Amino acid sequence: MAGTGETSYLVATDVGGTCTDTVIFGTDGVIHIGKALSTPPDFATGVLNSIVSAADPMGLTLEELLGRTHLFIHGSTVVDNAVLTRDGTPTGLLTTQGFEDTLHVTRGAYGRWSGLTEERIKNPVQTDRAPALAPRDAVVGIPERMDCDGAVVLPLDEAAVEQAVRFLVNEKQVGAIAVSFLWSFLNADHERRVRDIINRVAPGAYVTLSSDIAPNLGEYERTSTAVINAYAGQITNDYLTSLQGLLAEKGYDGATMVMQGYGGLLPAAEAADRAVGMIECGPAAGVIGAKFLGDLMGDPDVIAADMGGTTFKVGVIQDGKLEYAREPMVDRFHYLAPKIEVVSIGAGGGSIISVDPRTKVPHVGPRSAGARPGPICYGQGGEEPTLTDVMLLIGYMDPGQFLNGSITLDREKAERIFKEKIADPLGMTTQEAAIGIYRIASAQITDLIREITVERGLDPRDFVLHSFGGSCGMLAAAFGQELSVRRVVIPYTASVNCAFGLVSADVAHEYSVTQNLPATTSAAQINAIFAPMEERARAQLAAEGIEPDRMRMEWSVDLRYSRQVHEVTTEVAANTPLDDAGAARLVDDFEALYERKYGRGSAYREAGIEMTMFRLTARGLMPRPTLPAEEEGSADASAALIGNREIYVETKGGMAPGDIYDFNRLQPGNSLKGPAVIHTPITTIALPDRMTARMDRWRNIVVEFDAD
Amino acid sequence: MDPMTFSIIRHRLFRIVDEAVITLKHVSGSAITNEGHDLMVSLYRADGTLLMGGVGFLHHLTSAAEACKSIIRRFEGDIHEGDIFLLNDPYTAALHTSDIYLVSPIHHEGRLVAWSACFVHVYDIGAVNPGGFAPQAPDIYTEGFSSPGIRLVAGGEMRQDVLDTILNMVRSPEMVTLDLRSMIACNNVARDRMQSLMTKYGAKEVDGACAELVNQSEDLFRARLRELPDGQWQSRQYLDVNGDTARVNLTMTKKDDRLIFDFSGSDPQSPYSINCTKWASLGGLFAPLFPLLCYDITWNEGVLRPVEMIAPEGSIVNCTRPAPVSVATVGAIQSVNNAACSTIGKMLGASEKYRNQSTAVWHANHFAIFKFGRNQKGGDSIGILTETFAGAGGARSFADGVEIGGEIPNPISRMANVETVEAAFPVRYLFRRRAPDSGGPGEYRGGTGGELALVPHKAPDGGINYVISGKGSRHPMSEGLAGGYPGAPNSYVWVKAPEDGANTPVTAAGGLDAISGTQERVSWGVYPLMGRDALYVRWNGGGGHGDPIVRDPEAVRRDVAAGLVTLQSAGDIYGVALRDGAVDETETMAKRKSIRSARLQQEASE
Amino acid sequence: MSGQDRISASVAVKEGQAVCAACGHDLGPATKPWKDHAHRREIPLALAGGQAYDTGHEGVLLRHFYCPGCAALLDTETAMAGDPALDDILAARG
Repeated sequence: MAGTGETSYLVATDVGGTCTDTVIFGTDGVIHIGKALSTPPDFATGVLNSIVSAADPMGLTLEELLGRTHLFIHGSTVVDNAVLTRDGTPTGLLTTQGFEDTLHVTRGAYGRWSGLTEERIKNPVQTDRAPALAPRDAVVGIPERMDCDGAVVLPLDEAAVEQAVRFLVNEKQVGAIAVSFLWSFLNADHERRVRDIINRVAPGAYVTLSSDIAPNLGEYERTSTAVINAYAGQITNDYLTSLQGLLAEKGYDGATMVMQGYGGLLPAAEAADRAVGMIECGPAAGVIGAKFLGDLMGDPDVIAADMGGTTFKVGVIQDGKLEYAREPMVDRFHYLAPKIEVVSIGAGGGSIISVDPRTKVPHVGPRSAGARPGPICYGQGGEEPTLTDVMLLIGYMDPGQFLNGSITLDREKAERIFKEKIADPLGMTTQEAAIGIYRIASAQITDLIREITVERGLDPRDFVLHSFGGSCGMLAAAFGQELSVRRVVIPYTASVNCAFGLVSADVAHEYSVTQNLPATTSAAQINAIFAPMEERARAQLAAEGIEPDRMRMEWSVDLRYSRQVHEVTTEVAANTPLDDAGAARLVDDFEALYERKYGRGSAYREAGIEMTMFRLTARGLMPRPTLPAEEEGSADASAALIGNREIYVETKGGMAPGDIYDFNRLQPGNSLKGPAVIHTPITTIALPDRMTARMDRWRNIVVEFDAD
Repeated sequence: MDPMTFSIIRHRLFRIVDEAVITLKHVSGSAITNEGHDLMVSLYRADGTLLMGGVGFLHHLTSAAEACKSIIRRFEGDIHEGDIFLLNDPYTAALHTSDIYLVSPIHHEGRLVAWSACFVHVYDIGAVNPGGFAPQAPDIYTEGFSSPGIRLVAGGEMRQDVLDTILNMVRSPEMVTLDLRSMIACNNVARDRMQSLMTKYGAKEVDGACAELVNQSEDLFRARLRELPDGQWQSRQYLDVNGDTARVNLTMTKKDDRLIFDFSGSDPQSPYSINCTKWASLGGLFAPLFPLLCYDITWNEGVLRPVEMIAPEGSIVNCTRPAPVSVATVGAIQSVNNAACSTIGKMLGASEKYRNQSTAVWHANHFAIFKFGRNQKGGDSIGILTETFAGAGGARSFADGVEIGGEIPNPISRMANVETVEAAFPVRYLFRRRAPDSGGPGEYRGGTGGELALVPHKAPDGGINYVISGKGSRHPMSEGLAGGYPGAPNSYVWVKAPEDGANTPVTAAGGLDAISGTQERVSWGVYPLMGRDALYVRWNGGGGHGDPIVRDPEAVRRDVAAGLVTLQSAGDIYGVALRDGAVDETETMAKRKSIRSARLQQEASE
Repeated sequence: MSGQDRISASVAVKEGQAVCAACGHDLGPATKPWKDHAHRREIPLALAGGQAYDTGHEGVLLRHFYCPGCAALLDTETAMAGDPALDDILAARG
């Protein structure tokens, strides 16, 4: 029995699309894991179920556990869900008169093609925008105008504002109002005065100012952000309030921290006011988790690949740093908020295999059988062959070993349908066709990861590949080899990686000031921009109970060449506040970064360099739980060898005998050679020929390619 | 060949084009390439035929094929690994001088196995007007330098003398250098990736897959053509410049699995630079053909084979040297796009199976307006009004056109934010919004176009100047389908401030007429935007589909509420009566009945 | 060959004849220009509808082709006076 009266706990729960995962760290150094189905739209039920499922094996009731819990960290899809299901608060928009269509026009075609696959983009006749979250008849133009310096061109017409607010609330029945004026990020006075008027005239309305939520240049994206935030704000507020209430009822009296899309934590009360911040915080936590492992294992460069039933997600960690998305979207709506870049592609175990009847060319996806009906072999009514069925047919999955034997896979049915729908039309045997599909899937993932790295100016050969999710382990070694990554790691915590990421995150606040200055700007002037941000940040962190010695101020600046469009966020590496040498180094670092990212000869220096945005990340360092490391013992893995069966072996050009191992019986230090398959409780690791897998001190499986 | 390997190679060819496009955008960093997506990258087989067309400005796919072929002819026996050729002569293959092709042979184990080609609209080409579009050019000689093919890179080494010569002929040579560099990097990526593909799978296998891919496209396209009815469809475009109107006439005939585009009867070439050469016309008709008819077919040589074009020599769609062509891409080529879109839309609409693929004409009329002058920071600024990339969608047989939704020949584009423009140019927008009544009425309405007004703001020189190649402000060019009206035409108005010394306008909620001053239409040439004057631009809506008086009255009510249709048009064109913001059904029925009877009182034709 | 059952969304084909898709009114053989059998009306574009159509130029016309049976608007054309009608016809079968 774990847990004596003295042990206290950190509980982290991540709500994902399908499952809600929990990781519990005890002060005794023991990690506990829980999993339950997500329960949208009432996510709190799934959260409690997930915690219970972790507490149960500990011999604790929910109340006992929460009574000894000192911190609860949470990530949730509540905002993504509110947007995807159009379940938010009816929202109105007040904007500068003459520009009422900005939100709906989406910078022209941009909103029509954004978020679509290339296949769909190639057929424009069948494309449309997603209807905006604030309908056009709930947009009111207000006479007011600032110019490009934030100077007032036309004063705010307060009477018009009051009238517009009454119209929106009384006639359009909105419960939330977004306010977005041109150039408000340089001078927020008009927007703030509008907020005062709304609070007076319609005190119940939820208000978001664009200058608060996204103080950045670009009125379309800024407006869209304000509207999303207003739309999802009330729901987010209600959700976090009720979740905290439930936890309190069950005896929890500590703080709740909420994960943000940029990979930092915010206290629940602050998170509630920044709904857009929570978008895609789960995948962000996944990348944070991968970074934590990379740091632990001494690998600063990691490609984190997560393949589940429906999506394949890729995050890139370079030199221990995370990259922010340039044009983040939720559903098909653009927004401006710092968010860790995670590229998501519709490819997973549930991807449906088809043969084009016209050309007899086989395709993997883009349609997916999803969780329901799922692959044929799950026996839940799936009638279309999926990638998971192929994995079964090529021997990578064992019908009796799936999810610890909790479901017996129907190989016979999978084979019958695959033969009829895929193998026969191709004129191949079932096995040949299944092997071919596996090769296609592996090659396509290789292509996609290569494209993602090229986009960032990176070379996959410098990276370690981390494989997460139920389907990734069967492909990771194969595509990792074709990408020539340094090695492949299937982490011990792969099944609950996002929840694991929550406990490895810090409290973090992001601040920014948009201002266009030449790169020759003096250090003193740059310091003067950061000083008020730092002051705000320190006060904020102090209010959250962070001691000054745990505060970290990270400066970065967006720079670009004057006549080019690419902006590069460049970290300030020198000590802050800056001296002139530090300022000069910033510009040098930018130039190096630019060339690395955009290629040799891409810089046009003659036009000059300008700074466009000044960003502060203010961290409150959280105590990091330590992962218990074990002694590595003998390399002999024979104790875990449970069988031998025919599996696909690329070097043999077909099926060949492979050793089958039980992950649960492997011990740190054990080493085994491919071709082999390792069954873990949640996934299967396929180890091709000429590769070696080893279990390391933290029970991660590390795959190395044999030297030629 | 093994269908699995074929599938893998096919996927990789797509990704190679994608990676090359990314490289092009990265290195260039220019607004027109990155925002307007005014670019193209494609792969060609060893003989120069199209292998894999990327998503860019689609009228370049076939022209760049011709560029490869003409380089093969011109340099036969003298094409080496690591060479890169430059070609921008419109009478050889290019569309206009400022869209430069860089064409690069790809060798594997010493043998020429493929080509890659790309283009960007370079910053300047040394024409009489800055920016590439030269409304004041009387002939090709004044449209900047043009080469029918020159070796820019020899065996991987830049030919500095050639580069220096080119740069010596253009404004902003640094920016043009960057454009050229980006295209070289792009071709290098395509070459490296093609070479590693061949190393992995074998040159013969890859070439076999390419041949198969081309044949497959041909088979698929022919099969689709056989599914469509045989017949003949016509369309016509009017292009007016400075009071001259030129016609582009098209008769498209479809028989079995062949498609013939016949431009006979089009007007002779124009003295203005709206003309296009025959390669440009061919590209122009394929630009809508690829996405409308071959949306699910790989865009390559196979799609070209069933298609024939007839374009009379000396006409506006097949002009002869030295006719000026610098405005071709937004002139005759765009009219060819439109005409082809219209006839293809008609043909699709005649098929039960493909009716939902038919569309009225989208964004028929680009307005190339290049602003240039000193900005508020004292620096030089030159740039296109990116609203031109934000055209309106044509109505479809099942839905309205997309408001300000882009265009067919360039599926990926976007316009800049107002704040981005105001930060870089000494101008201020009075408004930018959808223009009421601009979308062609119909049962399904064409997407609305937009309108904007600019005034000088904090300009050190009192304002800026602009080059405008604004043909087509007399005639609507976005034709409707099946009774749908055309989208309203473009409008360019110079509002000259009154003498009385009133201030520069700060707002104009009422639109053009709320800007005080006298209105003068402008369309072609170089103009100032100075002092207290304003420039108003309205751009065309998409064509409508079907009879407007059968449009759902509720949809008309929504359009009026959203400001997309005026109350007057709701009544006059759609026959919908609104009372207190709601549809008056009785009066609507009466109105529609009276419209019908008025129609029948007309004389029958002929 | 599928699809010989219509010329456009507004003009159908019945037994080789072009007919109004709304009311079935006969518009002659599908292999001949159906517009010859329709009511034709030419209006200056400037008067055709909203203000946006008024380009300030004479001589730009909008042609309407109506079904003589039910007055449905079957097609429109932008035209200059005297230019011929655009003809869309289906080929004879076989």
